[in-house]
Amino acid sequence: MTELNQTDLRTLTAGNKRAWDGFVTAAAPLINAVVRRTLQAFRLGEEDVLDAAQDVFVRLCAQDFRLLKTYDPARAGLSTWLAVVARSCAVDHSRRRRRTTQPLDEVPEAALGVEDKHVEKLRIPPGLLTARQSLILKCLYDEERDVVEIAQLLKIDAQTVRSTHHKALLRLRAHFGEEPP
Amino acid sequence: MNTERTPRTDKELWRSLAPDRDVVPQPISDLDFAAWLEGRLPEAAAARIEAAVAADPERRHAALDLADVLGKPLPAAPARLAVRAQALVGFEVAHQVAREGFLDRLFFSGTRHALSRAAMAAMAIVIAGAGFVVGGGLGESFAQQRSGADVTQASSPETAGELTDFSDGI
Repeated sequence: MTELNQTDLRTLTAGNKRAWDGFVTAAAPLINAVVRRTLQAFRLGEEDVLDAAQDVFVRLCAQDFRLLKTYDPARAGLSTWLAVVARSCAVDHSRRRRRTTQPLDEVPEAALGVEDKHVEKLRIPPGLLTARQSLILKCLYDEERDVVEIAQLLKIDAQTVRSTHHKALLRLRAHFGEEPP
Repeated sequence: MNTERTPRTDKELWRSLAPDRDVVPQPISDLDFAAWLEGRLPEAAAARIEAAVAADPERRHAALDLADVLGKPLPAAPARLAVRAQALVGFEVAHQVAREGFLDRLFFSGTRHALSRAAMAAMAIVIAGAGFVVGGGLGESFAQQRSGADVTQASSPETAGELTDFSDGI
């Protein structure tokens, strides 16, 4: 990815064929990995991975490299920005390819579950939790991710995730009058 | 009967609370999202993105997936993927070449064959000129056309006269 982040954008967006070929060689593993990961959830095949990856490159060079010209190296690394663009393209591709019907056996049980609307849930007042506390609790309990993954996402160490989680739960228990287990 | 409530676990407590459905996810640009993923944003800007990511399950999945992919060594991409993508820009160039006219190719597409092209063009002009001169030139050709037309015009009254004579004889 170091090679990718050293891309000469001016030459590339001027339409230089050699610069484009070099860029494609450097970006292909990242775009392939992101597209593959995104399409995994939609159970699409190898041809779809290749088509969605091609969509990413088409979007980058379309209209005289308009999208690539919007990239600002001062704000984010090229590899991270490309990964975000690739994911967005892959999601669009999967939406276009999504089957109109899906066999019942293929639907996860959780998606078929019906929430009991009669149970009145308590609302968390705005401002009780910080954005980070809320995000950590959602990643832990709604997404069922582990502390290490969340630490990697937020670029903090795992211990900080644990202490932020602990403080958030203390606030919630204090607000709703819940005793600790 | 024991009426004391068993304290709920952290997960049970969280699940009993309503998700913030009334929070409308704010739009985030790809660049801001990438900067946040890299931990480059100042605290206030990062908090805005974190609130948006917390409110939108699709963005949470995106953030967690991308952080995972970017944190691992990448496997090589299939060769076909790169070949197809590289052809995108070459294809455009080929189209541009096809769009160029004959004269552009003759005079402006490189200097390597410029001399031979100039010689060919000069020879073509000389041959055309010589052919024109041998053929009598424009003036003679025009004069021939004019005389041809006069002859036709002049012949018409004579023909009429001949017909009159013929009818007189009857």
